[in-house]
Amino acid sequence: MTTLALPAPGPRLRGLVLTLLALAGWELAARALTGAFVLAAPSQVLGWLAANPGLMARALRETLTNAAAGFVLGNLAALALAALALLWPRAQALVTGVALVVFCLPLVATGPILRVIFGPGAGPQIVLAALAVYYTTLIPLLVGLRAAPASWFDLVHSYGRGRWSALVHVRARAALPYLVAGLQIAAPAAFLGAIVGEFTGAERGMGVLTIRALRGLDVPMTWALATVATAVAMLAYVALGALARRLAPDAPPLLLSPPPAPARRQGLRAAALVCAATLALWWGAIAAFDLNPFFAKSPTDVAAALLTDADAGATRAKLGVALAETAAFLLPGYLAGLAAGAGLAMALVLAPQVAGPVMSAAIALRSVPIVTTAPLIVLALGRGAAGTVTLVAVMVFFPTLVACLHGLRQTPGQVMDVMDSFAATRLTRLLRVRIPAMLPAFFAAARMAVPAAVLAVTVVEWLATGRGLGSLMALSASLSDYDLLWSAVVLTTTLSALCHAAVARIEARVLRRYAPEQLT
Amino acid sequence: MAAERTDPPAVICRAVAKTFAGGTEAVRPLDLRLEPGQTTALVGPSGCGKSTLLRMIAGLEPPTSGSIEIGGAPPAETLRRADLSVAFQDPSLLPWRSVRGNIALALSLARRPADARAIDELIALVGLEGFGDTRPAQLSGGMRQRAAIARALVTEPRLLLLDEPFGAVDELTRQQLAQDLPRLWEARGTTTVLVTHSVTEAVMLSDRILVLSPRPAAIVADIAIDLPRPRAPGDARTDAFAALTDAVHEALSQGMARAEPPLAAQ
Repeated sequence: MTTLALPAPGPRLRGLVLTLLALAGWELAARALTGAFVLAAPSQVLGWLAANPGLMARALRETLTNAAAGFVLGNLAALALAALALLWPRAQALVTGVALVVFCLPLVATGPILRVIFGPGAGPQIVLAALAVYYTTLIPLLVGLRAAPASWFDLVHSYGRGRWSALVHVRARAALPYLVAGLQIAAPAAFLGAIVGEFTGAERGMGVLTIRALRGLDVPMTWALATVATAVAMLAYVALGALARRLAPDAPPLLLSPPPAPARRQGLRAAALVCAATLALWWGAIAAFDLNPFFAKSPTDVAAALLTDADAGATRAKLGVALAETAAFLLPGYLAGLAAGAGLAMALVLAPQVAGPVMSAAIALRSVPIVTTAPLIVLALGRGAAGTVTLVAVMVFFPTLVACLHGLRQTPGQVMDVMDSFAATRLTRLLRVRIPAMLPAFFAAARMAVPAAVLAVTVVEWLATGRGLGSLMALSASLSDYDLLWSAVVLTTTLSALCHAAVARIEARVLRRYAPEQLT
Repeated sequence: MAAERTDPPAVICRAVAKTFAGGTEAVRPLDLRLEPGQTTALVGPSGCGKSTLLRMIAGLEPPTSGSIEIGGAPPAETLRRADLSVAFQDPSLLPWRSVRGNIALALSLARRPADARAIDELIALVGLEGFGDTRPAQLSGGMRQRAAIARALVTEPRLLLLDEPFGAVDELTRQQLAQDLPRLWEARGTTTVLVTHSVTEAVMLSDRILVLSPRPAAIVADIAIDLPRPRAPGDARTDAFAALTDAVHEALSQGMARAEPPLAAQ
C-alpha cells in the first residue's frame, strides 16, 4: 500500500556506505580542484580541526551556550504566545500576525540594532537565536492545541467541565507531538540564529571565526567551520527526534500544518489590527527601553525619512534599487527551490526504491543551517547571481522536499485500495490522488519558506555580493545611517509579510478545493 | 443528596427548535416529555436531526428557541452536576489512554473518586476482559464503541444519552449488550435516550419509540413498547415484536412520504 517503504538491505548499512562514498567523492573533488580556492578536502578539514582544537572548542562552546539560551527563551515565548491565543481565541489572528511580522524582521538589520542596544556581550546572539525559533514552535503548537476532534471536547463538556479541563485532559497531550516537532526544527534554527548574531560584531564564537576565515580566504577553515556547524545542527535535530519518539510516538500528520486562513474580509481586518499592534509595539519598545533616538527610529521617523525629509527622494531611490536587486535573486531562487523540492518528491513516488534513503538524507540536510554554508556556496559559485540564487533555492528546497514527501504519504490507504482495484498506474495515482493529498503540506512549506528565503538572500547579499537590501542594511548600519537602516527594515519586513500573505491567499484558494477540512 | 441522585429525572422539551447558523433547520418546534427511568428510542432517517435533539438534551447544543428541563433544572445544571453521560456516535477515546484510562477519565471529569472495581466490572460487562490496558488504536471499531459505552456508564449517570452506540458492534455482542445494558439501567433507574437506525434494536431496548420525520425533525409517531422484560433475542421472532417493528416501519415510511411528496408520487 505504501510505496515509500525502505528497501530491503539494512538502512544503517546503506547510510554508512553512502556517507563513505560521499566523503570519498568530496576528497577526490577537492584534490582535483586544488588551487582553485573553492573546496577543502575532508582530510584538510580534519587537519585544520586537529591543528586548532582549542580555538574550535572555545568558539563552539560560546555559540552553543548562546544558542541554548536563545532556544529556551524563544520556546518559552512561543508557549506564552500560544497560551495567550488559547485563553483569548479572538486574539489568535493578532498574536500570529504580530509574531509573523517579528519573525520576518531581517536578522541582518536586527543584529546591528541589537548590538547597539546591548553593547558588547552575548545579548544580540541570544536574542537572535530566540527570534529564530519562537515562530517555528508557535505555529505547530497552535495547530496541535486544536488538533483534536470536536467530540473529545464534547466529552469533556458533557461532564460539565470547561476550558481548563479541556486543556489539561485533551489539548495539552494532543499538542505534545506538534510541540516536539516544532522543537526539533527549532534546535538547528537556534544555532543558526546565534551564528548570525555573532556575524554582527561579537567577540567570540563560530560566527566570528567564519567571518575571519572568509576575509582571509582560508578555505580549510571555512569548510571546517561549516562542517562542524552542520554536524552540530544535525546532531541537535536527531537528538530531539529521538526524544520525540520517546515522548510522543504518535507523530503529527503534518510537521508544519498551517492554521486556518481567515476569510477575505476578516483577513483585511486582521491585517489592519496587526499593523496597528506592530506600530504600538514599536513605539512602546522605544519608550519602554528608553532607547537613544539617534539609532532607535520611531514609525514617524521612518515615515519622515521616506516621505517628507529633504533627501526622502534619494532614500526611496536607494531602497528601490536595492529592492529590485534583491527581488531578482529572491524570486527565481524561491520558485526554483519550491519546484525542485516538489518535483523531486513526486519523482521519488514514481521511483519508490530510492525514496527511503533520499527521505532520510533530506530530513537530515533540512536541519543544516544553510546560511552558515553561504561562504561555501560563495566560494564555489562566486559572488554573482548564481551563488545567491542557488543559496535561496537550497534554503527553500529541503523543507519543501520533506513536507511534500510527508504530504504524499498522507494519501488515505482506502483511496489507494480503490486505485489498486482499478489497476491504476503510478502516474495516474500521482496525478489523481497523491498530488491533491500533498497540496496542504506543499503550501505549508511554501509559506514558511518565505521568511527563510528572505533571510538567506539578505545574508548572502551582506556577506558576499554587496548588492541588494541585505548589503544596504549592513552598509547603513556600519555608516550609522539609521534612517536608511530602519526604512530598509520596514521595507524588508513588509515584503516578507506580503509575500507570506500572498502565498497564504493562494493556499486558501487551493485548499478550499482540495482539502476543505484544513480550513474549518 | 444521595436520594436525590438516585431519582431518575424526567426530560421535558417545550417547543424546542434548532436552526443552524447556515440557515439549516434541523429540528422543528417540538414538545416532548420523557418519563423518569424509561428508555426512549429516537428513530428516523439519516440526517433527520436525531443527534441534534440528543445534543440539545445533553446541553452540548443550545436550542434556537424553546426550553429543556431535566428533572426540573436546565441541562446546564445537569451538566454542572455531571449527572448525565453521553455515548457518542464516534467512540471519542483519547488515543494516549488505555481502555481503563479512558473509562477512568470519565470519573475524574465527573469529580468522582477512582473506582478500579467498578471499571473492571464494566470492562467485563461490555466484553473487553483482557483489553483493559490496550490502547484504542489496537482495538477494532466495535471494541472501541464498547469501551465508550463502559465510559458512559461508569459515572452511574441519572440520564444516559446513547447516540447510535452499537453501530460498529458485531451482531452477537450487540445481542448480548441488548440483554445486559437494560438490566443495568433498570437496576440503577436511569432515564435513557437512545438514538438508533435499527428498528429491531429500538424495539428490543426501549419502553417507547419516537419516530422522527426527515429533516427538520418532527415527531410522526409515538409508539409504546409494552413487551415484558427481560427480553431475549428470541423475542424478536414473536408476533407481538413483529407487530411493533411493522408499526415503526410504517411510521417511518409515512414520515418519508410526508417529507418528499414528489418521490412518493412516482
